[in-house]
Amino acid sequence: MDPVLTRYVREPNGHTLDFFLQHQGYEGLKKALAMKPGDVIEMVKASGLRGRGGAGFPTGLKWQFVLKDTPLPKYIACNADESEPGTFKDHVLMERNPHLVFEGCLIGCWAIGAKVAYIYIRGEFYHVQKVLEAELAKAYDKGYVGKNILGTGFDCDIVIHRGAGAYEAGEETALIESFEGKRAQPRIKPPFPAVSGIYNCPTAVNNVETLCNVPGIVLNGVEWYTSLGPDKNFGPKLYCVSGHVKKPGVYEATMKTTLRELIFDYAGGVRDGHRLKAVIPGGSSVPMLLPDQLDIPASFDDVAKAGSMLGSAAIIVMDETTCMVWVAKNLMYFYRHESCGKCTPCREGGDWLYKILTRLENGEGSMRDIDLIASVAGNIAGKTLCPFGDAAAAPALTTVKNFRSEFEDHVREGRCTVPSDWRGWRVAAGAH
Amino acid sequence: MYDRQVMDTVTLTIDGRQVTVEKGRTVLQAAIESGIKIPYYCYHPGLGIDGSCRVCIVKIEKMPKLQTSCSTTVTEGMVVHTRTPEVVEARASVFEFLLINHPLDCPVCDKGGECPLQDFSYSFGPNESRMEFPRRVFDGEGVRADVDFGPTLMLNRNRCILCTRCVRFMREIDTDAQINITDRGYGSEIATFQEQGVHSLLSGNLMDVCPVGAITTKDYRFKARPWDNPEAVDTICTLCEKGCNTTAWIKAKPEWAKGPQLIRMTPRLNPDVNGYWMCDIGRFDYHWIEGDHRLQRPLVRSEAGTLEPTDWTNALSKVADKVTAAGGTGALRFFVSAQASLEELFLIGRLGGAFGLPESGVAVGWRQREKPQPKHAKFKIPPTDAPNVNGARVLGFPVKTGSDGTADISAFRAAVEQGRISALYVFDPGPDGYIGDVSWLVEAKRAGRLPLLIVHGVVMTELASVADIVLPGAAWVEKDAAYVNAQGRLQGASRAMAPPGDAQEDWQVFVNVGLALGAGLTYTSSAAVRADLAATLSANEAFAGLTSLAFSRPVTARHWLQASNPSERWKWDFMFQDLPPVKFAGTPRATSPPQTIALREVD
Repeated sequence: MDPVLTRYVREPNGHTLDFFLQHQGYEGLKKALAMKPGDVIEMVKASGLRGRGGAGFPTGLKWQFVLKDTPLPKYIACNADESEPGTFKDHVLMERNPHLVFEGCLIGCWAIGAKVAYIYIRGEFYHVQKVLEAELAKAYDKGYVGKNILGTGFDCDIVIHRGAGAYEAGEETALIESFEGKRAQPRIKPPFPAVSGIYNCPTAVNNVETLCNVPGIVLNGVEWYTSLGPDKNFGPKLYCVSGHVKKPGVYEATMKTTLRELIFDYAGGVRDGHRLKAVIPGGSSVPMLLPDQLDIPASFDDVAKAGSMLGSAAIIVMDETTCMVWVAKNLMYFYRHESCGKCTPCREGGDWLYKILTRLENGEGSMRDIDLIASVAGNIAGKTLCPFGDAAAAPALTTVKNFRSEFEDHVREGRCTVPSDWRGWRVAAGAH
Repeated sequence: MYDRQVMDTVTLTIDGRQVTVEKGRTVLQAAIESGIKIPYYCYHPGLGIDGSCRVCIVKIEKMPKLQTSCSTTVTEGMVVHTRTPEVVEARASVFEFLLINHPLDCPVCDKGGECPLQDFSYSFGPNESRMEFPRRVFDGEGVRADVDFGPTLMLNRNRCILCTRCVRFMREIDTDAQINITDRGYGSEIATFQEQGVHSLLSGNLMDVCPVGAITTKDYRFKARPWDNPEAVDTICTLCEKGCNTTAWIKAKPEWAKGPQLIRMTPRLNPDVNGYWMCDIGRFDYHWIEGDHRLQRPLVRSEAGTLEPTDWTNALSKVADKVTAAGGTGALRFFVSAQASLEELFLIGRLGGAFGLPESGVAVGWRQREKPQPKHAKFKIPPTDAPNVNGARVLGFPVKTGSDGTADISAFRAAVEQGRISALYVFDPGPDGYIGDVSWLVEAKRAGRLPLLIVHGVVMTELASVADIVLPGAAWVEKDAAYVNAQGRLQGASRAMAPPGDAQEDWQVFVNVGLALGAGLTYTSSAAVRADLAATLSANEAFAGLTSLAFSRPVTARHWLQASNPSERWKWDFMFQDLPPVKFAGTPRATSPPQTIALREVD
């Protein structure tokens, strides 16, 4: 498949407005503005576009939920708080194709009747914000954003808001809280953002990649879109392949592509002389898959069937030099640090898990600790307000489930038994 | 209040029981109303829903995950389970999480004994902790972890379970959001801006809402344990015209022991008056009742010009002598604080009637002061420092109010300053200053323009110090008395303790003074006064409840928690009627008596 979203990312000036206009830029917006908003929503619904942020919720349905009859203003919130470990697709889109993001936002606003789209960008994306702002100013100058867009009488502003850098702000209600200037902590749902979002007004929160899919659907039609990919998982998809592969990077493919193809064809396979040990298919929050589970299409539904989640499509590849206890500890360090602290299980359990895993990894643990990890992680999962709890529990749960012998080796030997050449620099006391 | 006949109701099933509740209630509220036990921390009936503590999780059929009952609204036909193994285990796991970092300093914690974390952990928590790491510490270990949290409070962050009730109280009720959480995740801590602490007239309520010992008051700190104050009296606060419903706590101690008996004041739920809250003035300004300046014996000015303690017989005969010398009872004038109860005002009226007192012969005074509060505070403290201005008005006293709400006593003051009054009886049963500015009266007495001044009060004020005769009365917690608050609501303050020393309840003092001065008052109790008053006021509907006014007595709480702070009390009244909590409710317990250690015989 020819790349759609990332086609021009390697062009030196691919991110500029002039280049964008030469390559069908804002054509989708022109076409959308000629349609009725309801028809745009119908079109997106018919295309089967699913949210690219992780949950895979149908975008058209989400837009339809944004209340139609309300005196309140409506908003599009573009979720650019890309913080999931292993994920770097929105980063590419925003830096190399910013106008596609704007176009998606504008079409979304037209469809739901919003006058403002807020792009909530991650705190650490300082350099990306510079690019976005420069290009947004150009789009304002040329009349693609702002008052009376393209002479149609449609007014729509785009505002770029940079957060303070919190993983939790990527959760849609926490994003809204953070956007409003509060602590990035999730709200109780219901009411969902479609009913009560930014400033308690109806809000559609969409991922950057999701919105980037919209112009193509409007421009090329539903049939073109549904021809890409298997049933219910249509359209181009960005995969972030990282870890022990020869060519890590962002790859665009349809969701027919299998995980094995993505790892071995697109990313060049694992390093020479090494063999695959485990794959995290959708960012650090999802359960791992083993090498024999990779011959499935990398689609939302098929990965879910295999017992994991496509999530943000961040494929983290680990070869046999990876110590799974260390993986669990490393990821737990992240989740302990990023927990917002609202719900008891996640706040207290995350810290506890990290302490147990550190002890195990240092070879000071006991066999009892292994069961304790499974028990504590199980007690976090599903007990929290937002999916963070499940995410925080996943690394510990799947490593213990799939690689229990490694945990036992750590206890028995009092050190790491995995040939961890790439961690040779780390000669600190303990196993690693 | 709502009428059960017409309100919309929803019927649901909780643990197999059909429960009908008002529409819009949450599952947790429905369970509480039906006496079904579900623990909770972040939920408080007076505050918004947060859904963060996660201990109120229940299983609701047709929902895939366990739900927090505090944030789930009831729907018709909903089926809820609170005791399935799944729920019990999940709940126990949340308790385990809550306790892994909570210090086990219950024996030295002010909340110990009336702590929801203790109680619910015993009922619902796991038997033992699996935590083997040092606990998280913020400001230091043990007592050093207590840090200053403003003029009235102390904060111990180690004990905090981050329920954010205090954050929400300040945001929603005080409307000056001084508290928030800083940092994130396992490092989250309660804090104020630059550690300035909480500066609010409602700060004491933060101790009430705190479900653990993280926020305690400096006032009550280390003074008593819950089981030291087995007696609690439901009363009202009389320090302003709001009339908040309160509970006075009496510490059990031998008579010879040092220190006060009245150990703290806590608010008592009354949705029509004060809700769940009370202000810091009412909560902390009670020390004068057992303070050093309390009047304990009648005082009579001696030949040498000093006030000398005496007994009631002598004092009352001196009253009779001096009043006669000053021109007889017909010359006696009254200056009354609006701290006076209905009974006392009625008796003054009876005395005045017997003495032929003209209407201009009595004045009512009180203090007016602004209480700085945020403009939109949900709980407002009125500026009038008197519980019974309305009562005096209804009883026909000449209550004159200036344009700013202050007492207008200018005519009376002019009469005193011009020396037209030869004998004055001041009645002030409130703390120093609550009668209003009386420096002019002190001046007039010192200047010799007032031949006879009798002060009947409770504390040694400057006015009492210049009086010829001082009669000791009772503070509001020392007598059964009725007041009419700013809403026109009739409420009773109950006698929680006896007046100190020889001091008497004020109705008794008036009856005795009346007898000494030849007015035939024959009442034998405050209830008799009230009955007579009710008969006099039978035409006034507002006083219909006067004879049936309930005065509570110090009750020995079956469980100290039953009469604890309002959220506690409410919980124990409605939820835990089968006290004490039994930990292993589901499993059979050994019936044999506990092992006893036999005493070793002495050869």
